[in-house]
Amino acid sequence: MSLEAKVESTWEPKIVAFCCNWCAYAGADLAGLNRLQYPVNVRMIRVPCSGRINPQFVIRAFQRGADAVLVSG
Amino acid sequence: MVAAAQHPNIEILTYSEVEAVDGFVGNFQVTIRKKARLLDESKCTGCGLCEEKCPGRATSEFEEGLAKRKSIYKPFPQAVPNLPVLDKNSCRLFTKGKCGVCKKICPTGAIDYEQQDEIITENFGAIVMATGYDLFEWQEVYGEYGYGKYPDVITGLQFERMNNAAGFTGGKIIRPSDGKEPKTVVFIKCVGSRDEAKGKAYCSRTCCMYTAKHAHQVIEKIPDSQAIVFYMDIRTPGKAYEEFAQRSIEEGAVYVRGRVSRVYQHGDKLIVKGEDTLLGKPVEVEADLVVLATAMVPSRDAKAIAKVVGIGTDQDGFFQEAHPKLRPVETHTAGVYIAGACQGPKDIPDTVAQASAAAVKVCSLFSKTEMATDPMVADVNLAICSGCGMCVPVCPYKAIELVPKAERVNGKQIERLVAQVNSGLCQGCGACNAACRAGAINVKGYTDDQILAEVDAICL
Amino acid sequence: MKRVGVFVCHCGTNIAKTVDVEQVAKVAGDLPNVVFSTDYTYMCSEPGQDLLKKATAEHNLDRCVVACCTPRLHEPTFRKAFESAGGNPYLLEIANIREQCAWVHNDREKATAKAHDLVRGAVAKVRRNFPLSTSTIPITSKALVIGAGIAGMQAAIDIADAGYKVVLLDREPTIGGKMVQLDKTFPTLDCSA
Repeated sequence: MSLEAKVESTWEPKIVAFCCNWCAYAGADLAGLNRLQYPVNVRMIRVPCSGRINPQFVIRAFQRGADAVLVSG
Repeated sequence: MVAAAQHPNIEILTYSEVEAVDGFVGNFQVTIRKKARLLDESKCTGCGLCEEKCPGRATSEFEEGLAKRKSIYKPFPQAVPNLPVLDKNSCRLFTKGKCGVCKKICPTGAIDYEQQDEIITENFGAIVMATGYDLFEWQEVYGEYGYGKYPDVITGLQFERMNNAAGFTGGKIIRPSDGKEPKTVVFIKCVGSRDEAKGKAYCSRTCCMYTAKHAHQVIEKIPDSQAIVFYMDIRTPGKAYEEFAQRSIEEGAVYVRGRVSRVYQHGDKLIVKGEDTLLGKPVEVEADLVVLATAMVPSRDAKAIAKVVGIGTDQDGFFQEAHPKLRPVETHTAGVYIAGACQGPKDIPDTVAQASAAAVKVCSLFSKTEMATDPMVADVNLAICSGCGMCVPVCPYKAIELVPKAERVNGKQIERLVAQVNSGLCQGCGACNAACRAGAINVKGYTDDQILAEVDAICL
Repeated sequence: MKRVGVFVCHCGTNIAKTVDVEQVAKVAGDLPNVVFSTDYTYMCSEPGQDLLKKATAEHNLDRCVVACCTPRLHEPTFRKAFESAGGNPYLLEIANIREQCAWVHNDREKATAKAHDLVRGAVAKVRRNFPLSTSTIPITSKALVIGAGIAGMQAAIDIADAGYKVVLLDREPTIGGKMVQLDKTFPTLDCSA
């Protein structure tokens, strides 16, 4: 296996999710209650509302090495 | 009903709808439209003379379309308040321009054709939603039961009206088509419920029990009668429920496990074709009357009123509780509670229990004269705020306004506009922050600095 | 000087089965400003809350992170406990390592790594938090009940019996709702009106 392919197969994206406390965050809790399994790569950040998500948060996440940002609300 | 009507602390507003809800827990401002009854309520004595003499006719909603009512009418004799209402759509005066009998005959001169809707604004500390249910409209989708074209295929609620001693038949069970007493009555359960293809996925919860009651009533009221129940499962999870259902079976109700594939008219009989899945054999019944146990669905305007009050609905349109197990009567909007079938299909014992639970929540809120506010609201840094006003229109709660601020600049007294947040109205959503170019507005407890610190740490 | 305490909950085996809670507590101890960190079987239980209160007093904590279930469940519980120990309730953060970590992942190693991240995020945030205080607003002790069927009438009567004013509203010309249309009702077969 070439090095490139090897890197590709083991590479895991780092995902930052901004979740509205009232819907998306509650939805993520519900996924937990129902034991719905999903990949471990995502880290949730609770915000009081999706309206609270300032574009600079998204930019900062990318600057700090996030591969993807999920805005959910 | 009488207990509610006579309670000194209860004011009854019928024929009224909620138009708008502003404010927040403890301080809601509610706008109510009191629809015109075309009647001066202070003069009407409820004598009923107008209804007696009214020549107009319309289909009675209260009798589920099985009987007629007058154009000026009380839905039923024991109505509370004891006042008639004039229905413009069927009134001869309003449709044909000629009549006026009720006004002429009214001994107190209470009829007022010119009356307009009245708008009332009142303050409340809490709101209880108890908007109930409607029945699934089976006629739209159940072709196998005749799309509603056979008069002797009726719903459970229509059956209730015939059974009710105060109803249009005086409690006699009849066939709507010819008024004859039916001998063979077929009940079909799960019409619109537990049927994702045609209706709803959920179980309507009350049908197994009321069908058992209906079967019992057929056997009790009609000599030599037969009650046949087609069912998928018999679900009786309640105190004394299973015993009740078993009693109907012991009295002679025949329970057939299986779905009905077709109902059609043959002479004056209805042929019901189905399958007994326990015997694995097809079944055919010559019935005189077919009663459908139709699913409970949210009240017809539930979605609209949810939007007005500001609460959520679930995938079926029922009001969403704050937590399915731990907060069943609260909503995500503080100060708004839910009770009864508006939250999901429910029988009377469960409804009463939930209503009392909602009442306790209201009482515990009212037991204090003041309440603590959430400090996690928007906060303006006045030194940075340029008074551009971008935050004002983005605020969904109308919590921000521009106010003048006096200050000294270079030894001169000046006045400039700055944003001011009403912390009572602010819900801390932070939409203003994203709109503020100067970065002057932050949400306390969720400041840019705090969230960015969390982002940095999580991305390490 | 900010003094942060970290408390990692096992939630019985709910969290501890998938996340190495002891490891999470140990690593959290090295985060900036963290002066105390520990793990415990049930943080929300009385001994768990006492642990938080005792540690707050002993280690002079002014900020707390509890890594446990969703803040939507026990944030108020821990805020209250922290407040009773002299802390400001808004200087407490929750790291959700149950609903959004232990319950949704199987890989113990990766789930533990995620728990580390979530705790680190919560510690970073709590370091920037500042004390907040609530203010009070008056309450209008009058209720509006929308819908006057059996649910609405029952709720109205109960509230009214407690001595508060109620407006019972219905769009129909009469109260009673669907209930008054019914004949005898199960399971007692008494009349419904």
